[in-house]
Amino acid sequence: MLCEKCKKRTATVFYNENINGKTRSYSLCGECAAKLREQGELQDITSMIGSFADPFSQLHDQFFSGFFGMPAVKSISPAKKCPVCGSTYADIAASGKVGCPACYTAFGDELSGLIQSVHGTTHHTGSVPARQRARKEKEEQLGRLRQELQQAVKDEQYEHAAELRDRIKSLESAPDQEQEDK
Amino acid sequence: MAWYNTVGKDADTVISSRVRLARNINGYPFASRLDAAGANELIEKVSAPLEQAGFRKINFADISPVMATSYVERHYVSPEFATKESPRALLLQEQGGIAVMVCEEDHLRIQSILPGLSLEEAYKNASRVEKRLDEEFDFAYSEQLGYLTHCPTNLGTGMRASVMMFLPALTRGGYMDSLASQLSKIGLTVRGLFGEGSGAAGCMYQISNQITLGITEEDTLRKLNDAIAQISESERRARKSITGEALEQLTDTVLRAEGTLRYAYRMSSGEFIRLFADVRFGIALGIVKDISYEQLGSLLVEVMPATLTLSSENTPKSEAARDRLRAQKIQSTLAPRRE
Repeated sequence: MLCEKCKKRTATVFYNENINGKTRSYSLCGECAAKLREQGELQDITSMIGSFADPFSQLHDQFFSGFFGMPAVKSISPAKKCPVCGSTYADIAASGKVGCPACYTAFGDELSGLIQSVHGTTHHTGSVPARQRARKEKEEQLGRLRQELQQAVKDEQYEHAAELRDRIKSLESAPDQEQEDK
Repeated sequence: MAWYNTVGKDADTVISSRVRLARNINGYPFASRLDAAGANELIEKVSAPLEQAGFRKINFADISPVMATSYVERHYVSPEFATKESPRALLLQEQGGIAVMVCEEDHLRIQSILPGLSLEEAYKNASRVEKRLDEEFDFAYSEQLGYLTHCPTNLGTGMRASVMMFLPALTRGGYMDSLASQLSKIGLTVRGLFGEGSGAAGCMYQISNQITLGITEEDTLRKLNDAIAQISESERRARKSITGEALEQLTDTVLRAEGTLRYAYRMSSGEFIRLFADVRFGIALGIVKDISYEQLGSLLVEVMPATLTLSSENTPKSEAARDRLRAQKIQSTLAPRRE
């Protein structure tokens, strides 16, 4: 059976519509059905999906305007190079890829616009490598101990202060990983 | 057993689920600036703990192009990885569909592919391997940008989660374009498989997260899972709405497809994909009764050109000979099984 609209393609969408007791049936091809749905003449069964919470709609526009042309950054000197791998911003813009992890620091300002336009943010919230986590925990712990030490000195609790100083020393010289194992 | 020989949850609308994590190791430049010596060193270092954990190492410099393509057809490596010239290796553990590409775009691409809807399980598998490597290596990471990757589009979690869906009713109804535009608004991407751009021939689509920065792994998976559930519902509703003349017409198409699959003397891979979609649709609608999702699904890998060529003792010499071999393989796979 051919589509009743274009009369060229095979009909794959069959519709029964009931308006005020009058039944009308359609036989349409996928393309014509899509067109009619766009014009609002046919009911769209996927429109339910449109009810998703939609925090990214703005991002979508930014993504397409931003990513396919690297954002123009005015204040870059063409001679600037990544100190580790030697990439220039022109290299990065040409390939869309950076040369090494250090490029993200070297070209932090230049890349932040691109990263913002791709992801809608520039801040990570996901998982953290074990070493990094251990390092951070160690720094936090050291910070707490140093504060305690200051307080102990202020309160003239010298015995406690000496104990704290020793703990700080041993923690400072401990490799990161031992922290992880507790 | 490999992922493509088994069937998973929601098999009527979902073929497979995949999660991959991109990681790089400090002290080495990214792939495009890494020389052969550096790449080989990296491969050696990473292989050791994985081989110890039971992974099989496949050095891609040592295998034939046909073998390399067969790994693409089994979805263990990317087409880019199979064809690039620089040193690279795959570490594979078929149980759990865990494949680690070393020196692809990123130093490490750790992925797990599983049948059916199984994103959490796939994430768990990939994550387990990632944790093992995290003990051994210093991953490139910044507190602000998360895991540092070759391409800024993968920054943050470095995680791409994707679900391969089978959507014949939405495809027939012309809904895919509007679905794709709705999904892109919530940060998801739709990519057609087995077809030029649209993917209409096989009615198979890969749906994956677009954004990796500023969202946790758990939230990414939850969002994708929610979307998949709603798309599955839409597809099922569209299937139910096929009645009367439309259903009769479809039944005719499906049974003809089944007949051709079972009895053709020669078959091209393009024709196979079309018939595959019709018959799989037929299984979902209860029109095809004595072919299972497993039988049909395994063919999706096993009759692809490279894998098919490797399965035969005599390499087929011509296109026609390969098409003949394909028809034979399909016939024997779909033949009623004797207990």
